[in-house]
Amino acid sequence: MNPPLLTTAETIDPVFWYILGVCIFFLLLITVVMLYFVWKYHRSRHPYTTSQVSKNVPLEIVWTLVPTLLALSMFWYGWAGYLTLQRVPEGAMVVDVTGRMWSWLFEYGNGKTSDRLYVPAGQPVQVNIHSADVIHSFYIPAFRVKKDAVPGMTTYVWFVADRPGSYDIFCAEYCGTAHSAMITTVEALPPEEFLAWYEGEGPAEADGELKALLTRHGCLGCHSLDGSPGVGPTLQGIFGRQVTVLVDGQERTLTADRDYLRRSILEPQVEMVKGYPPVMPSYRDRIPEAELEEMLDLFERPASAAAPSGEKLAQDKGCIGCHSTDGSRQVGPTFQGVFGRQVTVERNGQPVTIEADEDYLRRAIVEPQAEIVQGYPPSMPPYSELSDEELAALIDYLRGL
Amino acid sequence: MEESIKAAGSDDRGFLGGERGLRSWIFSTDHKRIALLYLWSIMSFFLVGMTLGFLIRLELIAPGATIMGAQTYNALFTLHGVIMIFLFIIPVVPAVLGNFLLPLHIGAEDVAFPRLNLLSWWFYLIGALMALASLFTGGGPPDTGWTFYVPFSTQTTTNVTVAAWAVFVLGFSSILTGLNFLTTIHRLRATGVTWNRLPLFVWAIYATAWIQLLATPILGLTVALIAIERIFQIGLFDPARGGDPLMYQHLFWIYSHPAVYIMILPGMGIISEIIPTFSRRRIFGYWAIAVSSLAIAFAGSMVWSHHMLASGMSDMGVFVFSLLTFLVAIPSAVKVFNWLATLYKGTIWLAPPMLYALTFLVLFSIGGLTGLVVGSAGTAIHTHDTHFVVGHFHYVMFGGAIFAFFGGLHYWLPKIYGRMYNLRLATWAWGILTVGFNLLYFPMFILGMQGMPRRYYDYLPQYTTLNVVSTVGSWILIAGLLLMLWNLWRGSRSGPPAGMNPWGGRTLEWTIASPPPKENFPGEIVVSTDPYDYHTGEGHS
Repeated sequence: MNPPLLTTAETIDPVFWYILGVCIFFLLLITVVMLYFVWKYHRSRHPYTTSQVSKNVPLEIVWTLVPTLLALSMFWYGWAGYLTLQRVPEGAMVVDVTGRMWSWLFEYGNGKTSDRLYVPAGQPVQVNIHSADVIHSFYIPAFRVKKDAVPGMTTYVWFVADRPGSYDIFCAEYCGTAHSAMITTVEALPPEEFLAWYEGEGPAEADGELKALLTRHGCLGCHSLDGSPGVGPTLQGIFGRQVTVLVDGQERTLTADRDYLRRSILEPQVEMVKGYPPVMPSYRDRIPEAELEEMLDLFERPASAAAPSGEKLAQDKGCIGCHSTDGSRQVGPTFQGVFGRQVTVERNGQPVTIEADEDYLRRAIVEPQAEIVQGYPPSMPPYSELSDEELAALIDYLRGL
Repeated sequence: MEESIKAAGSDDRGFLGGERGLRSWIFSTDHKRIALLYLWSIMSFFLVGMTLGFLIRLELIAPGATIMGAQTYNALFTLHGVIMIFLFIIPVVPAVLGNFLLPLHIGAEDVAFPRLNLLSWWFYLIGALMALASLFTGGGPPDTGWTFYVPFSTQTTTNVTVAAWAVFVLGFSSILTGLNFLTTIHRLRATGVTWNRLPLFVWAIYATAWIQLLATPILGLTVALIAIERIFQIGLFDPARGGDPLMYQHLFWIYSHPAVYIMILPGMGIISEIIPTFSRRRIFGYWAIAVSSLAIAFAGSMVWSHHMLASGMSDMGVFVFSLLTFLVAIPSAVKVFNWLATLYKGTIWLAPPMLYALTFLVLFSIGGLTGLVVGSAGTAIHTHDTHFVVGHFHYVMFGGAIFAFFGGLHYWLPKIYGRMYNLRLATWAWGILTVGFNLLYFPMFILGMQGMPRRYYDYLPQYTTLNVVSTVGSWILIAGLLLMLWNLWRGSRSGPPAGMNPWGGRTLEWTIASPPPKENFPGEIVVSTDPYDYHTGEGHS
């Protein structure tokens, strides 16, 4: 039987206690001696000097040698701990991680990828660390391990999670705008659960092709898929959206078509979306042409059966024939900022002011004649054929305008 | 500056009197006027750096966005670092107090090359203005951190090139000052000022000057390489073109670690002057302190890669640099013990300079001892690039170098301006500053041990409480700082006359009028006593 494997934290923590112990001892020594002398020889108690001794060679030797020996002992203990961190135990599972601005991508022996590090509890894990762009640093505080991810180099750490749980992973080497958001977790699972995940569809893996593809290329560190704001614009309903970009400082509005999306991935600095920092790196040479095509295809056809796109519905059903998205007045009220707006409607001939919440919008689509917005003709037909999913998607779309 | 001269209005104002007007200052070759040019320009940048630090801490009072966006935050901490390091701490003690005191301490009329000295200030000013220009031109303020690590710094669209040239120009100021001081110390000592009669401040400046002269060119070359890499894309550091990003880190730290000793050694020199004066004691272990300054300068030049223990450097590299790091701790410890021994059987006067010096002993010890934690290979891995390191270097740099500088200001401003500040207010300011300092920086050690990385705009909720404490500490610290600066400023303008030797110091500057006359000493002088010439039975008058 092998002796039980010490975890990396169990190896390093005693070194901390030793060095901190020596530090605290010396700090107390220095502070107490100083305060004692200041008290005892304060001019109110000791108005005249009583000694001018200014040399004592034995004393100099003692207070040079003692710290030297202590320093060497601390060095040696620290070095021994470091060696343990560097020596990977036999039988460690190997995972590759690639840091990129600003996400981590883990790749396992069988080709499976994830954006969290799933490991079996109790088994040592070696993480080989790569970088796709600038220097990052792979840091798991709970295990006291850290190593830089350097472009052009492969580095590594090892650790063992002795019990199941979730442990933070940080990027510790400053890498730009979203450095502090380059966070994920180690998910230590019971071995059988890990195996189930490893061999099948485990917990919380990317749902849908697009998400998997975007995860693999680290897009989701900055761009959300659910409309929430991030470092960069959300990718929800990106295809066909009107975007205002800055070209050489000039504003220009264009439609996010296939060509634009391709340019914005390969040459992001040329046409930056207004209001966002110019921080996106070029993905030329980083994304294979086939995968880029696939990504564009997926952007173009988001309206699969499972998840209808509200924007596409608004086009297909002809909503935008009468409702603008830019605030301009057409046959009906504009969609811009409609969600949550105060509207005055005529209900049974009486003006009523209500908030355009989800319920109201649903009613306004399904039976528009019941509450017509004041000042607009009662010409909208009911859209009662829409499914609940389609209605939800439409309202979600309106919420984002 | 001008106003205080007008207020005095006559020639008994020593070097402050005589010629008036801007030109008489910005083209003066008098080491004392140049010292004040540095003082006012450097302190202006200090206030800018302090404001940036205040904003950084305010942003960190809560997780998530508080008062600014991530990009702004990144630019602010970069500027805070660049300003505080390159425009403030590196030059402040040598350029201000060194310039003022070095010729006085060795009985000289001026430095060896007065015009070169003025040129150095102009290099400083031009470099500083270039650094400011990088904020408002090009692709926006640099966001790389003061370390300019590649490949990020060669890829970011922000204005790194101008900032890198600014550091390049500032380097010349430092190199020329070092050269000037070395020559001055070797060639211009008055008769009788032998090497064993040099004040320890001069020994510290001497050790510092060697680092300035020998290490700064490497920084100049390194930042020049960054600028060249950005402009011509030649691939020195880019692995895709056969370069090596770690080579940059080596080059950068070969200067920037010794630079830490450029910052702290002159501060140690100040402490070696203040403690004997306010204890009426000969300094204990004169040679131990002098030699340890040289030992720090020498050994400190060979420990640079301890900034890279988690970089993926070879194990042999980690072994060597961790070992050397522990060795450089020893001369610092020796200094602290000798300062403590100097208090023994003295008569201690807790005037403001002494309060700063004693606080230095404790804060510098905390900074130095936590350096052992980040110097030991095993523990460095965990604490590297966390808030532990932020706490460590603020204790060394601020609690050490800057507290020493503040002590030096309180000690020598009455000599420089001939007027005394309010001692009571100065003591209050010291108290507020010290409380605020510890509240601000001590929580960082705990945050770092808990794993919070540095340069984080946002953090996980478990780190909130200590960040709040730290931010509140920054408010107290700034209140103390402003009170201190205001008191010193008001004292220098309109305080009561300080007299020739208000503290009872024994070094040569206390033998001449305050403010000193333009030519320092009446002709060539002969010195026959040592700089800590105190006797048994002496007290404070």
